[in-house]
Amino acid sequence: MSAIHLQNLVKRFGAFTALKTMDLSIADGEFMALLGPSGCGKSTTMNMIAGMEAPTEGRILFGERDMTTVPMGRRGVGFVFQNFAIFTHMTVRQNLDYGLRMTRRPKAEIARRTEAMAEMLGLSGMLDRRATGLSVNILQRLAIGRSAMMEPAIFLLDEPLSNVDAAFRAVMRTELKSLQRQFRQTMVYVTHDQLEAMTMADRIAVMDHGVLQQVGTPLEVYNDPANTFVAKFIGSPGMNLLPGRLIHGDGALHVDLGPLGVSAPLPGPLAQAAGRSKREVIYGFRPEGVQLAPDAPLALPLGVTERIGARTILHLGNGDSAVRAVFQASDAVPAEAILRFTPDPTSVRLFEAAGGNAIRGA
Amino acid sequence: MTHPVNSQKDGAGLGFRLTLPAQILVLFIAVFPLLMQLYISLTDWSPLTGATWPQAWQFWNSFANYADLLTDDRLWAALGRTLFIMAVCVPVEFALGLALATLFVDDFPGKRIAYSILIMPMMVVPAVAGYMFFMLFQSGGPVNDILSWFTAEPVAIAWLSAPNLALVAVIAADIWQWTPLMFLILLAGLVGVPDDQLKAAALLGASPLQRFITIVLPRMKVIIIIALAIRSIEAFKIFDTLFIMTGGGPGVATETISIYIYKITTQDLIWGYVAAVALAILIVLSVAAIWAMKRMAR
Amino acid sequence: MAEITFEGVTKRFGSTLAVDDASFTVRDNEFFCIFGPPLSGKTTLLRLLLGLDRPDAGRILIDGKDVTDIGPAARNIAMVFQNLALFPHMTARDNVCFPLVERKIPPAQIAARLSEVAGKLHITHILHKHPGQLSGGERQRVAIARALVRDPAAHLMDDPISALDARLREEARVELKRMQREAGRTLIYVTHDQEEAMSVADRMAILEAGKIRQIGTPTDLYDRPGSAYVACLLGAPVMNLTAPGLFPGLPGAAQVGVRPEDLRLNPDPAGAAEVTWVEPLGGYTVLTLKAGEESLRVLLRGQPSFAPGLRVSLSADQSRLHHFDAHGQRLAG
Repeated sequence: MSAIHLQNLVKRFGAFTALKTMDLSIADGEFMALLGPSGCGKSTTMNMIAGMEAPTEGRILFGERDMTTVPMGRRGVGFVFQNFAIFTHMTVRQNLDYGLRMTRRPKAEIARRTEAMAEMLGLSGMLDRRATGLSVNILQRLAIGRSAMMEPAIFLLDEPLSNVDAAFRAVMRTELKSLQRQFRQTMVYVTHDQLEAMTMADRIAVMDHGVLQQVGTPLEVYNDPANTFVAKFIGSPGMNLLPGRLIHGDGALHVDLGPLGVSAPLPGPLAQAAGRSKREVIYGFRPEGVQLAPDAPLALPLGVTERIGARTILHLGNGDSAVRAVFQASDAVPAEAILRFTPDPTSVRLFEAAGGNAIRGA
Repeated sequence: MTHPVNSQKDGAGLGFRLTLPAQILVLFIAVFPLLMQLYISLTDWSPLTGATWPQAWQFWNSFANYADLLTDDRLWAALGRTLFIMAVCVPVEFALGLALATLFVDDFPGKRIAYSILIMPMMVVPAVAGYMFFMLFQSGGPVNDILSWFTAEPVAIAWLSAPNLALVAVIAADIWQWTPLMFLILLAGLVGVPDDQLKAAALLGASPLQRFITIVLPRMKVIIIIALAIRSIEAFKIFDTLFIMTGGGPGVATETISIYIYKITTQDLIWGYVAAVALAILIVLSVAAIWAMKRMAR
Repeated sequence: MAEITFEGVTKRFGSTLAVDDASFTVRDNEFFCIFGPPLSGKTTLLRLLLGLDRPDAGRILIDGKDVTDIGPAARNIAMVFQNLALFPHMTARDNVCFPLVERKIPPAQIAARLSEVAGKLHITHILHKHPGQLSGGERQRVAIARALVRDPAAHLMDDPISALDARLREEARVELKRMQREAGRTLIYVTHDQEEAMSVADRMAILEAGKIRQIGTPTDLYDRPGSAYVACLLGAPVMNLTAPGLFPGLPGAAQVGVRPEDLRLNPDPAGAAEVTWVEPLGGYTVLTLKAGEESLRVLLRGQPSFAPGLRVSLSADQSRLHHFDAHGQRLAG
């Protein structure tokens, strides 16, 4: 079991910088999600931890040992590929015991450990079957089992659920999480699906265009996003972000949101912090924090209504003044063309217009 | 399309109808001559008899030709030599081709140029290659010159006049010319091995050699079978290069089965016998090829 | 635009029954979703509608006309494939205009349609590029533009957005819905993502192993599923199905179902259930509970503080319970 420390990690491919100066520490036994859109550098980071790519600058440590130059077969990491990379020309058993065979463990030991692993993963019945034409569920278990046989201190998973259809994904997420709790391994999980990260991770590292945006527990990145990117990326749907200007009115600080109207007064600590910043700000609030009231200060036309089971999502306005509001299916939604609304004060966040960093209260 | 096709059933039928002209052509080219050959092989016909081939029935001797070929020493010697050449050339070409192919899987500077140079031998007309190697292996030729660098006295081996050494020269020519073919086929197979399976194997602790044996070779099985089958069959039929180099000589030292058939066809003109020999070889070769491929595909 | 009807359509491939007696009608200008797990017959239904395969039994009607024997070219249906099938050697502009050029529409009209569709899909700035130079999302929009540019009886889409990042999928489905409404087209849409289906569909058909199990609006199917199968397919987390006991079951009920969002919790040291796992998802929280042998999941708004190990008592509104008989069929009541 081991902690991972990434220090000043940089990766360049010719003129293109895939990863810019990343510093990240992953605790022993922690489930850390590397979350971000395609091309943000999460897979590159993971490939460097595994040893499949060498960093251009910086160091990678497992615990106290510098692994930066250690070849990939010797790092003691387990890796699950996006399409599982099962050896389809071998049997299930041969896949499971591959690592042990290559490192020349005694035959009796190999057999014993393979059967124990197969038992634990529910694969005992198909050990001597060829590893082709298997369902995705089985492939996932086999891929994890194969790596787990080597008892790695660290487990790396590269978007293993992206090829799985939506219905199965929830089932496999649960399985994966319980396997991690069982093995108590340090796990690093790459994904572009924020729901997946929120469900499974102890902490999430949000990345964009090669830069680490924020690291924190799911609730930390949700409640206290460091910048507009994190605010928009986390949450289903992401935070509503509207450009506006700070103005004073009846002894309080408001945000003038142009065509939508002027916001309600900013809560105390936020107003204090805002008082020190520039006039142009970005006013943010979570879709779940929207309250409808006939006398509310903001207004927008109602567009599409999505009723997706337990939740109803209202799409108000569009373009720069698009707002999404989430209600429970049981809540009544007025059928008017223009809706008046205001966010719950505890859900309001402010960000600098230039650069998008959060303006935080004391 | 004006009608929806029941894609599975109708598709096959349409394919059959569209290729019918080609099928008829192949029938004509392949099956008819085979039947003609069978007919002639059961006779003692020769163009010297003055009769045309449809009249060969006049010289009917049923399976006498086949009985004769079983006791024809020269035939069996030629067969032995051919098999020997195959047994040496094909594995060497395979090993060399595979080694070269592994070098070409990844990029390196000058790869394109190296690639073009490497496949040039294959482009040379076999007869011209024969002449090239004829010159190379002359007593005063480049091969002897190069060998002289390593020995005290100058080397002046008469390669093509010495019964044992002529075979060596012939084998060398074949290896030079056809290794590139193996290289191409095996490279195609190598490139088809999934990269992430190789990475997964490496992460599980497999050394490059272990990865080669447990992942690369098994996944190349079909390509390897094809490469070996193609090359073996061609090696069996070796003719052009050899004929130009040695003409089957000295004496019959490098007489392969093709050269033997050529000689009795053009010099002895016993075409009935020739037909029998050729047909017998065809049958044996086909059976051997099918058996070998079934075994390997297991 | 036209109505599309399937009457008793059956299709076999060898010994497999891919589609079993499918009957349904898609109304004019409707966004109709065909939803089901993999290998349930969704793609086969699409292929039958397109004319790539012929039904073994039944009829297919487009706008009242029997098209069962008519080939794909004459049926006037436009399709966006799962792998997009963009022509790699043509620019995006040529790809989008291709169907119109094929039909010898005059260039002025082509240009007008092109600019209209490109504007709606925000691809005007990439029309000069080749598919190989475009991102996944851009290629998707070009493929959809190519389908929209024609004026067919109906559009078909086979899982067109599943390859996009999660965030883009959420936005793409709203865009698709908006486009379909504005363009006023009949759209038949295949997907295996239940949230996507419920979001976009006016009505949807749920498939199981080639049979249509239920057809209705997403809200109907969600609130009144006709079977335990349908009930468990829609909604995340999945509906809790328990034996009657924890919740009162109607006579004849073999299973009682209650959706995670319909469960009410109260901390109670003598409660029937214990919290085993808490998943904080930001806007809402999912709790996993153990009640005796049963495992249940609860969906709560916001970030209430429940910790694993807490004992709670459960309740649910009678009207929010679903009752299913021994065959999994809904019991009236």
